Order: sequence, then structure tokens, then C-alpha cells
Amino acid sequence: MAGFVHLHVHSHFSFMDGVGAPDALLASAAALGMDALALTDHQGLYGAVRFYRAAHEMGVKPIVGVEIVLEPVGIEGEECDLPPDARLPLSAPVGFGRAAGAGFHLTLLARDIAGYRNLCRLLSRTHVRTGDEPSVVTLAELERCSEGLIGLSGCSRGEAGAAVLAGLGTRAERALRRLARAFAPGDFYVELMHLMTPDAPRYIAGLTALAERCGLPVVATNNVHYAKRRDFRLHDVLASAGARTTLPGPYDRPNAELWLKPAGEMRRLFADVPKACDATLEIASRCTLDLGLGSFHFPAADVPAGETAYSVLSKAAWRGLEQRYRPVTPEAVRRLQHELSVICDLGFPEYFLTVKDIVDFAKSRGIRCSGRGSAGDSIVTYVLGITDADPIAHDLLFERFLNPERRQMPDIDVDFDSRRRDEVISYIYDRFGHDHVAMVATVNTMTARSAVRTAARALGHTPDEVNAFSRYLPWVSSHRLAEVLATYPECRDHPLREAGHALLVELASELDHTPMHLGTHLGGFIVTREPIESWMPLQWAAKGVVVSQYDKDDIEALGLVKMDILGLRMHSAISDTVRLARERVGEDAVPEPFDLPHDDRRVYQTIAAADTVGMFQLESSGQRNLAMRLQERDFEDIIAAISLFRPGPLEAEMITPFIRRRHGLEPVVVPHPAMGEVLRGSYGVIVYQEQVLQVAKAVAGFTLAEADSLRRAMTKGRSREAMEAIKTHFVERACGLGVERAVAEEVFRQLEGFAAYGFCKAHAACFAVVSYASAWLKTYYPAEFAAAILNNEPMGFYSPRLVLDDVRRHGISVLPPHINVSSAEFTVEQDGGAVRVGLGSLLHMTSRLLDVMQAERDVRPFADLADFLKRTRAEGPAARSLIRVGALDGLGVTDAGRPPTRDEMLALLPELKAVIARQGVAGDDTLLLAPARARGPVDTGHVSGWTPAMRLSAELECLGLAITAHPLALARADLERRGVTWARDLSACEDRSRVRVCGVRERAQTPRTRSGKRTCFLTMEDPTGLIDVVVFEDALDRFGDVIVKHRAYLVEGVLQNNCQRGIALIADRIEPYVVRDEGRQPVRLRRGVGAGPLGPTRPGAGAPEEESWEAAEAREALPAGEAGPTARRPARRTRQ
Amino acid sequence: MGRNRAIKTFDPRRPGLTLDLLTETDARLPVIVELLRSPWIMRASEMVAPASGLAGKRREREVEVVWDARRGAPRSFALDDGHPYVVDAVVQTWAVERAWWDPRRRLSRRCFRVLTRGGLYDLAYDRIADRWLLTGIVD
Repeated sequence: MAGFVHLHVHSHFSFMDGVGAPDALLASAAALGMDALALTDHQGLYGAVRFYRAAHEMGVKPIVGVEIVLEPVGIEGEECDLPPDARLPLSAPVGFGRAAGAGFHLTLLARDIAGYRNLCRLLSRTHVRTGDEPSVVTLAELERCSEGLIGLSGCSRGEAGAAVLAGLGTRAERALRRLARAFAPGDFYVELMHLMTPDAPRYIAGLTALAERCGLPVVATNNVHYAKRRDFRLHDVLASAGARTTLPGPYDRPNAELWLKPAGEMRRLFADVPKACDATLEIASRCTLDLGLGSFHFPAADVPAGETAYSVLSKAAWRGLEQRYRPVTPEAVRRLQHELSVICDLGFPEYFLTVKDIVDFAKSRGIRCSGRGSAGDSIVTYVLGITDADPIAHDLLFERFLNPERRQMPDIDVDFDSRRRDEVISYIYDRFGHDHVAMVATVNTMTARSAVRTAARALGHTPDEVNAFSRYLPWVSSHRLAEVLATYPECRDHPLREAGHALLVELASELDHTPMHLGTHLGGFIVTREPIESWMPLQWAAKGVVVSQYDKDDIEALGLVKMDILGLRMHSAISDTVRLARERVGEDAVPEPFDLPHDDRRVYQTIAAADTVGMFQLESSGQRNLAMRLQERDFEDIIAAISLFRPGPLEAEMITPFIRRRHGLEPVVVPHPAMGEVLRGSYGVIVYQEQVLQVAKAVAGFTLAEADSLRRAMTKGRSREAMEAIKTHFVERACGLGVERAVAEEVFRQLEGFAAYGFCKAHAACFAVVSYASAWLKTYYPAEFAAAILNNEPMGFYSPRLVLDDVRRHGISVLPPHINVSSAEFTVEQDGGAVRVGLGSLLHMTSRLLDVMQAERDVRPFADLADFLKRTRAEGPAARSLIRVGALDGLGVTDAGRPPTRDEMLALLPELKAVIARQGVAGDDTLLLAPARARGPVDTGHVSGWTPAMRLSAELECLGLAITAHPLALARADLERRGVTWARDLSACEDRSRVRVCGVRERAQTPRTRSGKRTCFLTMEDPTGLIDVVVFEDALDRFGDVIVKHRAYLVEGVLQNNCQRGIALIADRIEPYVVRDEGRQPVRLRRGVGAGPLGPTRPGAGAPEEESWEAAEAREALPAGEAGPTARRPARRTRQ
Repeated sequence: MGRNRAIKTFDPRRPGLTLDLLTETDARLPVIVELLRSPWIMRASEMVAPASGLAGKRREREVEVVWDARRGAPRSFALDDGHPYVVDAVVQTWAVERAWWDPRRRLSRRCFRVLTRGGLYDLAYDRIADRWLLTGIVD
């Protein structure tokens, strides 16, 4: 046993003031033979639960604590009231948020559960007290919450320590005496640190003398900020970046001694004060915190007098059964009885009632919602109306959701209409009480980009350099940075590859997964029976909501109820589509899409034709490819499609045998007939996790609960020995039922191979209900569906531009925006034959202007630009955008007897604004116009006076949409001259034929593959449709930078066109393409960036990629074959 | 003799005034070390001069050091003239780690303030250059 315990230790949860995860610190402590270790992060318990759990796993006693900021207690009044030479230096602004520099440090340790709860209360009250005050603990609050806490006087930035260093002994003594009174006798220690500085002996001697005078015990600590000495560099970098300064950072540390030193080293440092080291052991022995992990704590459900939670749940379930199953079947009754009894045995009725309560509220208000995940495996959730997929019809297994053998907290996720989710959230707060509800936190950690930015800032690089370093870096972990820079083609010219940046790359790599700040979970809520601050510390999130300091895993470990109240924009889009359709064709003519029977042949034809843009879960390029191969015929096929195109099944390459067997290209072979029966629907391929359970039951006679335990055991990373033991158990059970050993071993081999990759069928079935509803709406109300999708952007897989192009391809007209017709949203006109572009997403548009436009238009239409400006007082940038997208085309008459061109209106705009402003202010009605001379119409054939390329560039920049035409439609002649094949003609080309296509990039994905090689799946679009391009690693090496840096390409390769693989182009050459109209005028494909604090005034902000045409022009300017590195590097531009 | 002449010419051993309370070296050493370590004594070398940093004399030159592994401290050192200085006591140790990100300015040292027969010396082990330096003769 070591003779020392570290009681003042920071992990990386001190946010930019600590290095290393709690478990890394624990591992170091365990390696040093220490029996206990404390964790005392700044101002919170962010890492406490994972520290506590890891400590128990490693056999180290966890001591949970915190380092807080306390108001000055050694003086009367405020620090600023003192004369300057009597003031103490306050702490550096790192790791303490708003409290930095507002008080002095104090270390607190939880002695027991009462101390833990007090720690949570103290932190919660301090953080949540008011909006803008810094989180500084007052002495009064500390006195109220000190039961069960042990206090240490803090580091040299504690009041006593700082006073000793400043030679203010009286103040130090007064501070120590007042702090000691705040704790129970014997629970306050004077903290000594020997940080190997020249001041250290004086510091220790001074504090020891004061402790003796006050009759207080002393304790030695080392203010640990990193586990190993070598990590001091990262600490300096983090502290510098956290304080927004450069190295050496805010502390200007003289050395690197804040590491987890061995007991012997600590004893040597405190050889003169051995009792200080002895005290660490004594404190460790007194801290006996037990968080009671493993038990569950449910919120209070509404249970009438004389009832129990179970009886209420049971009655509601039986009522629901009658509504869902008509007629009620014996199987449904049996299943409901079974599930209710399991739920009762596990003690979960209150949880189900809580979820039902929230869902019932949403439905009563007409808020569309649907459950998802493994909860769909339960008939109870189905009959309670939480989920919508029939578990009996789709062979869903309750044990996958709730395993009676494993008492785990159930997890029911519910998606709500994202636009009305706030109503649901308000209800939860009102229903359970604001003191009992908080949002779940997430910990935002560093990836390669953020790590590079952090290290670069600390090393003193300019903002432009920092932007240049982080741009084009893929979203990978920073520990792969060196490898990515060396091997990824898009990083070929990256500035970090220069030798002078080796230290930056090294530091950034080591910062991998370092927490940066606390975030808010998308929809996770904690609901507790007791006030939530007795369970966990709370604080304000940047969003302005109160969040827990724990993330979802910590909440689950504590046994508390977490509910995911997620917003799903597809629900909003479906509701909008139904509303628009009913407005057009009548209220009763459009049924509720979620209640439709899933048997409409036209819907399946639409899906099978890969006409799925906008459809929930079915629209991605992979899904469209799969649809062409799968040719969906019924609802089960939709479930299969959703399940097959997931990382697991993709990695296990399940799709190919599934498709081949479905089309009879290969026989369905299973090692055992019972397995064939279970896997009949998936042609002998184990696609669903539920099927693993069914196979284990059918072949080896497992109960479903046992089978689920087997599945879980197989999916976790087991040792070879453990897996062998599982296999032996399975094979013996199967042999006991008369299965041949070889057959049983083969069945196990297949289960083992697929168990980790299968997808939860219930989750897919829940999604499929929403997918079918969206497919039905797209099939029968395409204009309304497209308008609804566009009104709920950003959502789905594709950009609004592509959704609008898809509308056009369906024969629906796209009407341009106009100030006299357009509203904020996209609308449907011409009896479903046209979609009018809305102005809500226009660059620089304001909600004020939209409201005024609507109100003024209701009085009378706008006559011309002057009338519009006069009546709306439109802001200059918004008016400019409106003119540029043609929203004022055709209004007014010029001296030439024609409407003004866009150029003329743009030239007139500032003058008109000035005149209107003078009229309003000075009462001067004199109209004096002296506009700059505008060029005449460039294209006399169009009312705007602009060429199609100019109009299109403006539309793409201001709206992100191509209204005039698809960009490549303008270059049709040039592309045909280059021998390009259009997307719609690819299906007629022969398999393995060589083709050249051209398209605008829509998506580029590089999912992981089983082989570990990088493959890019590129989705491009031309005027006739979508093109899927596969770029394998060798081509990616050569053309990866082209894909990343440009928007439109010419791609050459071999076409794959067969029923097994679908239609895709295997690229072997990619080159950028500059889109030009027939007048050789280029089209800019970039979306404009709105003004704001980080808007266009800052170089690089909001510009994720360079313009393609500049670089391509540079390339074109070179003679053939001389496209060297200079041509590849885009010209550097300053955005104004 | 300049200023403070009376102090400099003062003979502490004049008849009738006994100062040698501790006549043996072994008995004197703990007292001296204790005095040197006392927090309330401010040494001239640590006082900040108005214009040029520390007031004490600071020198930096390479020295030969004999290391005492058992104590984890220097046992003796020798200056250029070869004269050995046996370390009677280690008064203080500290560490310096500065400007690690700049190879030209980087400083990584473990320092020892030692008492020898000749006075109080600061020795530093330079981790980067792997050598011992005499960094100051401080009092």
C-alpha cells in the first residue's frame, strides 16, 4: 500500500485546465499502488460518475470532490474595497467559466452520500442562481451545505495560500478560521502544496505555522492536472486556448510538476511535515461515498387513490388492445399478459405511465409523434399508442426490448413534430415541476479540426492561419491527424504538412477527445421524483436551458429516468403536406397518412423506381440504389431496406446475398431447417437482431430472454476464451435437442458472424411507418409534399436545390419568388401543378420585412421598387437580394417604356433609400434622384435584362436554389459536345460500358468499409436526374482533392448496371467542370453567407470550400498535361 | 574601505563578547540550514532591484557534480580551478520548465540551492543539454 493519496486532482473535465480522462488518472494511481484517488474538477462533477464506476472496476477507492470558487472570507466587504497593495491576485480565467477571477479556490470532498447530495445542491444553486452572475459560492451557502463535506483550503489561489504568498498573514489566518467554522469540527484541513518552486518552502512553512496557530490539521496535495509529467505541454496548450491567449498561458507556470507523483516522491517533498501526508490516508479512510448504482428511481406517476401504477398501466393497456386489434386475437391477449407481468416484475410500470402521459398530451394537442427504437418490440407500447408498428404482424420480440434476465432501464425514444416540440417540453416542466426536470448534457470533445485550432491558437498563429490549418481536414479523430495528412488526397497541399508545423500536429494529435465544453443533448430529459439538484449538479447551457452536468450514460448509471423528446422534421413535413393537400382538395379527401393500410401498389412502384427524394429514410443514394435492386413490393420490404442500408449490415455485406437470393440468383442455404423457417422472410440472411433470438430459440432451445443475453454477449468485444465458452454452451444445448454437432457449430458461426451487425427490426418497423406515410404523400400530393419538405429545411439527405429540381422533373412548375405573390414559405399554386418559391430563406431577409410585406400586400399590391421601399422600409441588403432573385421583375415602367432591369433597380436602390429616409425624417418631399448610370439590358429577351447565367448565379447565391434552370442545363451544348451521357440515359447503357457524365455534387460520403479501404460514394445531379458514382481508393488518391474543393465535375468510368448492383459509375477520372452558358459566362454555384458577427466580414467564415471555377480556370489556362500543383491550389481570395 | 567601514572592521571576537554558541560544525549546520530555510528571512539575492531584475549576482557556468543517488542530490561539485566543494546541506530544490515550444529559448532544469563551506550556491541540472551548471553564488 502506498503511503499517500492524491486528494486534489483535475481530469480533462476541468475543461481546458486538465489533461487526461478520469480512468487514465485512475490507471496511473493503481499502477503507483495507491488505494484511493480523488477527483476535484473545477466547478462541477462532470466526470464524477464515470470516475466512480471506473475506480470500482480498477479496485481503487473513489473520492468525489470539486474545486469551487468561493467569495473572499478573510476580509470584510469586497476585494475591490481594499487599498491596491492589500488586494490579492485573483485566479486566472481558466476552467471556471464566469467565476474566473471572482473569488478564491477551495477544495471540497464528499465524505458520504449526504456530502455528495450537498455538493450537488451547492453547485446547482451556485450555477443556476441567476443568469449573469458568476458562479461564486458564498460562505453562507457553503455553511448551509457543508454537512458530509471535507474542506481543504485550496491551492495557492485559495485565499489563505494567496495571502501567505502576499505576506498577508492576518488575512490568511482570518480566512482559515472562518472557513473552519463552516465545516464540522475536524472536517477542514489546511492544504499544503510543494510545487517545486523557489516559493514553496516559504509557502508551506507559512501555512503550517498558521494551521498550528488555528489548531487545524494540514494535508499535502499536488494540484494534479495531468497523470504523467510529459503531459504538461498539453496542459499549457489547453490553459492558453481556454483563456484565449497564447503560450505560456494565463498561469505562466514555472515548471511541470502538477503530475500524479508517486507516494515516495510526495513523502520526500513533505519530509519536514510527515503528518500532512498521513492526513491524506486518514481523509481517504473517512470518505465512504456509495452512490448506490444499480437501483432505479422513477418519477412519480399520476395514480388515483386505491390504484397502483401497475393497475393503472394494465387498464390502459387492455383498453388500447381493443382499439388496436379488431378483433382482439388470443395471441395478442397472451402477449400483452406476458409483457405486463414482466413489466410489473421488473418494477417499470411508472416509467411506462410517464411516457404515456407525455405522448397522450402530444396527441391531445394534435402534435404528431411516434416511438422508435427497440420500444417497438413491445405490444404494451403499441397498445398505449407510443409506437405504431404492430409487433405481432412484424415478428417483433419483446425480449429484445426488455430482457427479464437483465434488469436494465428501458429506453423509449419518441419523435415529435419538431416545430411543436417546445409545447411538449413545456408540458413536461409543468407536469413534473421545474425542480424535477433538466436536460441531459453532452460533452463536446475535440476532433482533428478543433484540436488543430486549439493547438494553433495556443502557439500564437493568426486567425487566418488557424482557419487555413483546419480547413479541408476531414472529420476524423485527431490521433489520426498525421496519418490523414500523409495519406488523404484532399490534404495533399495542406499547410500542416510543412515541416515547421510538426509540433502543432503532435500536440493536436495528443488532444484527441479532450472535452471542450458541455453541450445540450438534442432531446434528452431527466425526470426525477426528488428535486433533481439532490441527484446531480445543474447549470445553464449556452442554449439558455438548465442542463445536468452528467451525460446520458451517467444518468443511466445512476438509475434515473431519461427520456428522449426528439424533434423530427419529417413529422412537421407530413403535417404540412396534409394541411396543404386538405386546403386544396378538401378536409375529408385526404386521410390521416399514419392510419393508412400499407398496401398501395402505386406507393411501392414509386419507391421501386427510386423516385424517393424527400421520403423518410428511403431517399439517400444508397437507398435509391437498393430500391432499384430490391424492387419493394410490400411493407416488409421497406423494413428490410431500412435495415439493410445501415453501417452494420453494410459492413457485413448482407445486401448482396439478400438481393441475389431474393431474385433467385443463388439458392437459400441454411444449416438447419428450423433456421430456414425463422429466416424465411430474409432469404436465410440474418438481418435483424430479433432473428438472432429466434434462431437461438429454434435451434438450441433457448428461451427468448436467454437468447437475448446470448446476443448481447456475442456483440460485445469478448475474449477468445469467453466466446469459446459461449459457443460450447450453445452447441451443447443444441446437441441436447438432437441437432448434429457440426450443424450446431455452423449455426453458431453464422450467429457469431452476424449478431454484431444485425439491425433492430423494431426500430426499422417504427421508421417504416413514417417512411410509408411520406411515400404515400409524395405519390399522391407531390407538389404539397415538396413544398412541405422545402419549408422544413434543413432536413433529409438532399439540399433544397435538389428537392426543387426533383419537383421540376415531376412536371411541376417552379414559379419564381415575387413580392406580390410569394409568402415566407413555399406555396402550391395551379391546383397542385406549381410550387411558388418562398422568401423565408432569402439571403439577408428579415422576419420584420416578411411581416410588413404581407400586411402591405393585403392593402394593395406593390407597384414598383419605390412603392415597395416606401411602404416596407426594407433594409438595403434584403432589398438587394429581392431585386437580384427577380422578386421585383416586371414592376414599374422606365423612360424607355419598359420595366426596369435588375441592374437599373440595383443602381436606383441607394438613391431611393436615401430619398425615402429624408422624407421620413425631415418632411422633405423633394424627389432628387441621381442614380449611378446602370448598364443596359444584357439580355433583351428577358424582363430582368440578365442572362440566364447571371440569373442563376443570383438565385444560387441568394436562395440556394436553381429556379431558372438546372445549372448544367445552361451548358447542355458544351456537355453534349464533350460526349456526356445524361443521368436518365444511364439505365439504357450496357453493364461495364465506359461512360462520361457530368454533374453538380450533392453529397460525398466515405463510410467505413469492411476492408478498411477508403471508398467515396458521390451523389451528383444533372438536369435529368441523380447519378451515383463510386470512387475507389486508387481513384480517390488521385482525385480526392478535386471532389472536396470543387462543386461540378466531369467523371469518366465504367458503368455498373445490373440487378445485383444497381446503376452506379465506377470512377477512374474526375476533373472539375466550370459551368458556363452559351455566352461563356460562368455560373457561380456558391450559396451566399448571411451577415452576422462571424459573417462575410471575416475571411473564410462560412465558406467551407473554394469556388470551383477559379481553380478550374487556372487549370484550363495551362497547356495540356501541365496541371501541376500550382493549378491544384485554389487562388486565395478575400471575401468582403 | 568605503561605506559601512565600522561594520566591516568590526571584530566579533574581541574580549568579553562570546559569540561561538555552537563550536562544532555538526552542531552549527542545522542552525544555519534552518535559518536559510526560514520563510521570514528575505535574502538579498531574491530581492528585486528596481532596474535589472534580481539584486544578487547571477553567473552561469558548467561545473562537475558528483551525484548522491541515495539522497537524490549533489554530493559535491568542482569549479574550473578544480577546487572541490562538498555539499554540507541542500537548502532548497526547485524545477524550471520554460518555453518548451521554442527550441531556441527552451529551459528545462532541476535546481538545487546548496550550502558548502564556501557559501550558498545554486546548481542546476540542464535536462536538455544533460549537463550541470552553476547558476548563482547567491549570498
